Amino acid sequence: MSSPEPIVAKGLGRQFADNVVIEPLDVSVDRGQRVGIVGADGAGKTTLLQMLAGILDPTEGECRVLGFDTRRGAKQIAARIGYMSQGFTLYDRLSVKENLRFAARIRDVPDELYRERSERLLTMSGLGRFTDRPAAKLSGGMRKKLSLCTNLVHEPELLILDEPGLGVDPLSRRHLWAMLDRFRAQGLTMVVATSYMDEAELCDRILLLEQGRVLADGSLEELLRPAAGRVFTVNAGNTGRGLRELSGILAHIESVHSVQWLPDHLRLVMNADIAENQLAELLPAGTHLAAAEPRLEDLFVLRTEKRTGEQQFPELARQDRGKEEGLVATGLSVRFGHFKAVDRVSFEAPSGELLALLGPNGAGKTTLIRALCGLVAIDEGSARVAGVSSGGGSTALRRQIGYMSQRFSLYLELTPWENLRFFANAYGLAGGAARAAIDWAREVTGLTDIPDKLTGDLSSALRQRLALACSLLHRPRVLFLDEPTSGVDPVARYRFWRVIRELAASGMTVLVTTHYLEEAAYCDRLALMLDGRLLAHGSRSSLNHSLGLEADATVETLFTAAIEQAGTANSRALGP
Amino acid sequence: MKAHRLGALIVKESRELIRDPVTVALAVIMPLIMLFLFGYAVNLDVEQVAVGIYDLDNTPASRDLTARFDSSRYFQLEQKTTDLRDLESALQSSTISMGVVIPAGFARQLLRGDEAPVQVIVDGGYPVLGRLASAYAEAVIANFPAPRQSAVRVQARVWFNPSLRSVNFVIPGLFAVILMAFPPLLTALAIVREKETGTIEQIYASPVTSTEFVVGKLVPYGLVAFLEILMVMVVGFAWFQVPIAGSPILLLTSAFVYVLTTVGIGLLVSSLVRTQLAAMLITLIVTLMPSFLFSGFLFPLFTMPLALQLYSWLFPAGYFMEISRGIVLKSAGLEAVLPNLMMLIVYTVLVFVFAAWRMKQKVA
Repeated sequence: MSSPEPIVAKGLGRQFADNVVIEPLDVSVDRGQRVGIVGADGAGKTTLLQMLAGILDPTEGECRVLGFDTRRGAKQIAARIGYMSQGFTLYDRLSVKENLRFAARIRDVPDELYRERSERLLTMSGLGRFTDRPAAKLSGGMRKKLSLCTNLVHEPELLILDEPGLGVDPLSRRHLWAMLDRFRAQGLTMVVATSYMDEAELCDRILLLEQGRVLADGSLEELLRPAAGRVFTVNAGNTGRGLRELSGILAHIESVHSVQWLPDHLRLVMNADIAENQLAELLPAGTHLAAAEPRLEDLFVLRTEKRTGEQQFPELARQDRGKEEGLVATGLSVRFGHFKAVDRVSFEAPSGELLALLGPNGAGKTTLIRALCGLVAIDEGSARVAGVSSGGGSTALRRQIGYMSQRFSLYLELTPWENLRFFANAYGLAGGAARAAIDWAREVTGLTDIPDKLTGDLSSALRQRLALACSLLHRPRVLFLDEPTSGVDPVARYRFWRVIRELAASGMTVLVTTHYLEEAAYCDRLALMLDGRLLAHGSRSSLNHSLGLEADATVETLFTAAIEQAGTANSRALGP
Repeated sequence: MKAHRLGALIVKESRELIRDPVTVALAVIMPLIMLFLFGYAVNLDVEQVAVGIYDLDNTPASRDLTARFDSSRYFQLEQKTTDLRDLESALQSSTISMGVVIPAGFARQLLRGDEAPVQVIVDGGYPVLGRLASAYAEAVIANFPAPRQSAVRVQARVWFNPSLRSVNFVIPGLFAVILMAFPPLLTALAIVREKETGTIEQIYASPVTSTEFVVGKLVPYGLVAFLEILMVMVVGFAWFQVPIAGSPILLLTSAFVYVLTTVGIGLLVSSLVRTQLAAMLITLIVTLMPSFLFSGFLFPLFTMPLALQLYSWLFPAGYFMEISRGIVLKSAGLEAVLPNLMMLIVYTVLVFVFAAWRMKQKVA
């Protein structure tokens, strides 16, 4: 067997019951290649990787990995590959060393090789100082690094990684990729599922996956070619017009495919090649138009037929409520036992501001929101929401706030209408008032024709809008959105952010958490959180300025710089 | 099966177990709680039955009979009345479980040497108690005023548990129930926990075979179960002062085989389901419930309908129940317990083969 190809899949497909998750696909990966699998949540990335790793049997076609059939030769494959799943791959009660040693022994690594390799891996990952620490007490970034080590200790020929950067702070993510680069230099073949653009850019080749189909396959440049020359940004410039007016004009231009609403400009994707000056002629004089770099998201958008982000939107009455009506937190801390989930956080968000709370999993974003909503007790400091104190969780507070939780807390066994009814009644609205509130919320969220199905059978994009509608029924002054866009495709996300921007413009204060750092672009100001602490807080440009970065630095770069400025992430994550 | 992989699994599993003090504490405390609760609560001895006496005679003879009831350890005089309605309402409200009616003229008839009828009214709401109480009452009355002579004399002698203490019978039975209840519960969570956290995917994607994985779980949990045996037995024999007639070594050995079976059942459940909640519920239903009903712990199996008797053979608790009571009460030797022991061994092997076979090596 003269070094068989790492992966050769023929007609590989998988369905669960009637649900086709991966449509039959042919794919082969060359030795030493780094392949990125990119797609929205639910596109089938994990299923594909599990089939490649031989731990999930295909329902159609076949796949050979390193020369072995994934159905019959799963154990031979297992001995030769590393597979890092998305979730927890470590034993919390075992120490760093014990986890690594366990991984080595079950993968038949002889003791002398283990000693030599473990030392090298631990040094490389920066875990050398923490060998006796239980895995449970490692930060998210360190856990990922240790997981990676456990999958490298047997020196696999092929490494399969499922969203290695998910929920990891940007600095740790950079370290993780530095490790991957060193192994790549040694000729290790890699298949990486990712939803991060910058990670995709580090791959030789990208498989763009959408609903189980390969949308595109090639290098990043090849993939982006169809969108080249079709992406523009527009702002009102010196015309004195608002974005809303501008978008009204764009709605009449045939070739505009989609409009994405950002704080101070609109981003357009055209459905045909158009020269910049041609487009400029269609716009009012004085508008500022510029060509923009295409992104992978634009490809998804181009695939959809309808013009998106252009839904009819009701004019919302602007209510200026003054500064004190927004959000104010002063030295706010929440402890769970000895663990400080939120550590002396202070910030202000005036009425009508759209504030993004950014940070990796476990940074304390959800706890902070829950404390502001009065759902968890505040141990130190204080918070005022729309002029009402957050302590105690009073009814006065609840009337002022809307809260959309991470998992869209809807009743899946009720229809959308029944859900809306229930939440209206829960907020004390009945009869005509309830109907009016529901109509208004449906109009705002674009849920004018809801299908008569159970909520559980709706797409995640529809569920997201329904959850938003439910949290808006009582017209809250402050809206909390906890990871509102996870699991939703880019097109639906554009529409969602448009609604959120309009709500903020009407005077509602909106606090959004997200771990998609790119989404920070939609927000007026950013609050960066790590390990319970607020690292930095301000508008993107002012933060870039204060950290000495270029004005157009990405949120990734900004976050990384903020962590570095606050001291190394690791030493702090590990505490005293 | 490779020794170093199995070793790694056992070491890993043991470390996780030892570092989970709550689970270990539960594994130790729960069986003891059950032992004490049931050791005291399940008392089949009928003593101190509350009696009410409706004495219409009110003579030295009738008072003497009343005193006989009062002094018997099986009865306790709760009420003496001259109104029938009192007796009735006392029976209804369960203040007494038995009423004795001594009619007027009782003493006179006795003196004359006639039959002197006495009425005994027993609360039949709880049949076992009622039957025993009426039998005891008959014995008291039959020996009044003096034991009667009869041509045939019965000399009953009780073997194996001469004092007829029910605790001597309940405790060895409880061993079978407790070892069926707790070790599988603990193990049932063992594999499912890895499924829930996701660590199992690392096992799938490694050369570890399902047999290695299952045996790697069995050894540490089997040891914990063995500790449970030791503890439950020491406390059972010492605290409840149950004499052990047969060989303690044989009892311990059989118990070890038995916990391998029960731990195996836990692993089997664990390999079949996906969530810890399901694992716990199913384990409770397939272990605890049948071990009460179909093991002969309280209800003798031979009185059950044939279909249920056949059903009871499906549960290993019955086999160990016989072994345990045999050794503790009847001093049964290896020869006597061997058939049941063989059944347990066969059962264990089957459960393991099935668990290892069902333990998938893939996500789906």
